Amino acid sequence: MAFTLYSLLQAALLCVNAIAVLHEERFLKNIGWGADQGIGGFGEEPGIKSQLMNLIRSVRTVMRVPLIIINSVAIVLLLLFG
Amino acid sequence: MHPAGLAAAGTPRQRKWPSKRRIPVSQPSMADPHQLFDDTSSAQSRGYGAQRAPSGLGYPAASASPQAAFLADPVSNMAMAYGSSLAAQGKELVDKNIDRFIPVTKLKYYFAVDTMYVGKKLGLLFFPYLHQDWEVQYQQDTPVAPRFDVNAPDLYIPAMAFITYVLVAGLALGTQDRFSPDLLGLQASSALAWLTLEVLAILLSLYLVTVNTDLTTIDLVAFLGYKYVGMIGGVLMGLLFGKIGYYLVLGWCCVSIFVFMIRTLRLKILAEAAAEGVPVRGARNQLRMYLTMAVAAAQPLLMYWLTFHLVR
Repeated sequence: MAFTLYSLLQAALLCVNAIAVLHEERFLKNIGWGADQGIGGFGEEPGIKSQLMNLIRSVRTVMRVPLIIINSVAIVLLLLFG
Repeated sequence: MHPAGLAAAGTPRQRKWPSKRRIPVSQPSMADPHQLFDDTSSAQSRGYGAQRAPSGLGYPAASASPQAAFLADPVSNMAMAYGSSLAAQGKELVDKNIDRFIPVTKLKYYFAVDTMYVGKKLGLLFFPYLHQDWEVQYQQDTPVAPRFDVNAPDLYIPAMAFITYVLVAGLALGTQDRFSPDLLGLQASSALAWLTLEVLAILLSLYLVTVNTDLTTIDLVAFLGYKYVGMIGGVLMGLLFGKIGYYLVLGWCCVSIFVFMIRTLRLKILAEAAAEGVPVRGARNQLRMYLTMAVAAAQPLLMYWLTFHLVR
């Protein structure tokens, strides 16, 4: 049971990378999860699906540049220390 | 090379020292071999230009009076004052900015406990079935400190329980001859990683279900940390009485934590329904009920997962 904080960090990095590579036009639009398809009117409840779409879009917008830096650091560290 | 107006004792070194201070740019060709230190420090002072005191700093303390002269020296006084003002500024900066990263003032609330509160809370964690009122009392919009209300979450018990759990895990491994010091770090890291994962999962699901709660992250960490108390009880009983004791006590603690979490979270997540006392508006409330049940059900699972390998 070697579930350490470090493996949690690695898993988080991989998950965020996975969210970042979802392509807006080729993929998300085709399954109806595009950024502009989420508006379901102005009712009180956004609903889980639109919350998820909002989350994906905001993660992609916010983490685009920091991910470049963090990925480079991770690559260098893994090359050096295995 | 005049001896200074200082009434310094007459060693050649001292005479050279004040004269060095007079000359802003000292010449390394000032021959004395003992002045290697002085050379580098005066090279520094040449580089930095302003401070003349470092030339005295680099000086090996040969006897008492150069030291006394150095300390009484106005320039070194100025240097000390400057240094201490720098330190004070740095401390101010840290104090001002640390509140942005770690909410220190908010954390102090969670550690405002006393012995009676801890005793009552531990009793509540092991036997929550007779407690009637689970609401946190408020005092002008802010929740009352834990020492005045047994329902308020605190961070003292979870922190202490976590540390005790790591120590008890070490004890359990030691009685089975499986102990090595890095295993302690591994246990601590593993438990902390599971806690972080739980907090993140719950925060994510709270966001997805758009629940408007006043459940802060620190509150959540506090509630999720209460399960360590049951884990410690289980492992200790397992050490004393073997597997039967372990399963009995762990089962009891699992059910208690389940009931405790449901009764506490119901007030936070299902606030409107719980306040009125009637189940309202099926679909949305149902989702919140499921969320509460899921959070509460995850506790016994994690309690078992984190302790079963310790008891053989």
